[in-house]
Amino acid sequence: MRRAAEGLAIPVAVLAVWEALSATGVLPRYVSRPSAVGAELSQLVGSGDVVQHAAVSLYRSMAGLAIGALSGVVLGLLSGSIRAFAVFFDPLVSFTNPVPKIAILPVLIVWFGITDTSKIVLIAITTFYPCFIAAYAGVRQVQPAWIWAARNMGARADQVFRKVIVPAASPHILGGLRIALALAFILMFASEAIGTAHRAGLGYLVIFAESGGRHDLMLAAITAIGLLGFAADRLLLLVARRVLRWQPEVFRA
Amino acid sequence: MRRTLLRVAWRASSVALVLALWEGVARSGLVNPRLFPSLATIGTEFVSLFTTGIIWEHLGATLVRVAGGFSAAAAAGILLGFVMARFVVFGRLFEPFFSATYPVPRVAVYPIFVLAFGLGHLSKIALVFLECLYPIAINTYYGTRAVDRQYVWASQNMGASPRQVFWKVVIPAAAPHIFAGLRIALPVALVIAVITEMIGATEGIGYLVAYAAASLSRAQVFAGVLVIAIVGFVLDRGITFARDRLIFWERPSVAIG
Repeated sequence: MRRAAEGLAIPVAVLAVWEALSATGVLPRYVSRPSAVGAELSQLVGSGDVVQHAAVSLYRSMAGLAIGALSGVVLGLLSGSIRAFAVFFDPLVSFTNPVPKIAILPVLIVWFGITDTSKIVLIAITTFYPCFIAAYAGVRQVQPAWIWAARNMGARADQVFRKVIVPAASPHILGGLRIALALAFILMFASEAIGTAHRAGLGYLVIFAESGGRHDLMLAAITAIGLLGFAADRLLLLVARRVLRWQPEVFRA
Repeated sequence: MRRTLLRVAWRASSVALVLALWEGVARSGLVNPRLFPSLATIGTEFVSLFTTGIIWEHLGATLVRVAGGFSAAAAAGILLGFVMARFVVFGRLFEPFFSATYPVPRVAVYPIFVLAFGLGHLSKIALVFLECLYPIAINTYYGTRAVDRQYVWASQNMGASPRQVFWKVVIPAAAPHIFAGLRIALPVALVIAVITEMIGATEGIGYLVAYAAASLSRAQVFAGVLVIAIVGFVLDRGITFARDRLIFWERPSVAIG
């Protein structure tokens, strides 16, 4: 409770100074007052507009994340356990990982047009990397003694994988998922701001409001993106703590 | 020597396989060569970006934004991290703030920065700064707090002044964490520079690629993507190299895992 109060000190102070400066006209007009932004946001929520845009944005980011995370975790686990997979994927991933994946958005637009597909594929490719790396590293740090012990007690290869390797790697995997989740939201905004065909999505709303000079709407949409990203992260932490409840020390944020 | 060569060749084989697959598909005639150009076409376009000199202006603009935002964030972030670790009040005020706003996609404030700082360098540098500040400040903070108390006590026992403790004990002990933060931040800097250039700019590699895509010069899109990929790769290897030289006592960093 005390921690929460201390954490709120800076944001509340910033908002108060901002409100005061806007009210007295020190700040330029495009920085709408927090109270005006709040009013706009609650009106957006009330009219259901923001819900529609958010639903479209969430569909894009979560579909991409689901594809990227699933393939990343599965291939990472396989690469950590089976040498042939590692020989193929390790060099490819370590070679392409430092490359900014956003760069291929224009290529995807060339292939798929300014569609949901190009956004989902971009988010899937981007989120693949942290998930693959985390799962791969997670398997490789499993103590050999645990695997030997399981084998000694007569566990089959698939049992070792399911009962030893996957649980031991899961804290790493959830760490990778958390990075991937943040990336999914960043790329959701970026790809929507760069181009959206159906006039839908929170990123589109931000750019649309900006070009129309509706700065209260713009800030309300930005706030909605921020709240969504924050809520998604907290949800993941909640799930992570449940999944890893045998490991009390991790994911306390 | 022969063994390392063999290892490199072995590691390169999967990359070569993927490239060969690409070339095979491109030349098979099954796909439209304008949508899926061959490596030769991309290579020719890539070379012409440099021979015509188009690339330099854009590459320069992007690098200015990356370097400006990253170095400002490194200076401010390391300082802030130290202050947060040294003075409890700052740690209590900023740490929950950072951890609460960490998952918020900060790139969304870019339109505000454009209004405040214009479409030129400054709005991009400001966003690169904001994005890079988080990993650098947080890693410095936790790295400084994780410094083994015994090192500090030992040096104080031997008569080190607070200044000496800071420079000779705390900084070297926290350096690996600080570099971990820098290594996370540098690729982020490039990503943010490219994203902001794609959203709204008049120069930069991101702008060049987005412009090429809009004007349907497909081969140029691929060549521009290749330039960005190479810049990203070189930056990452550069900071790994610097880390291994400066923090030679730690085990050398590996590319993955």
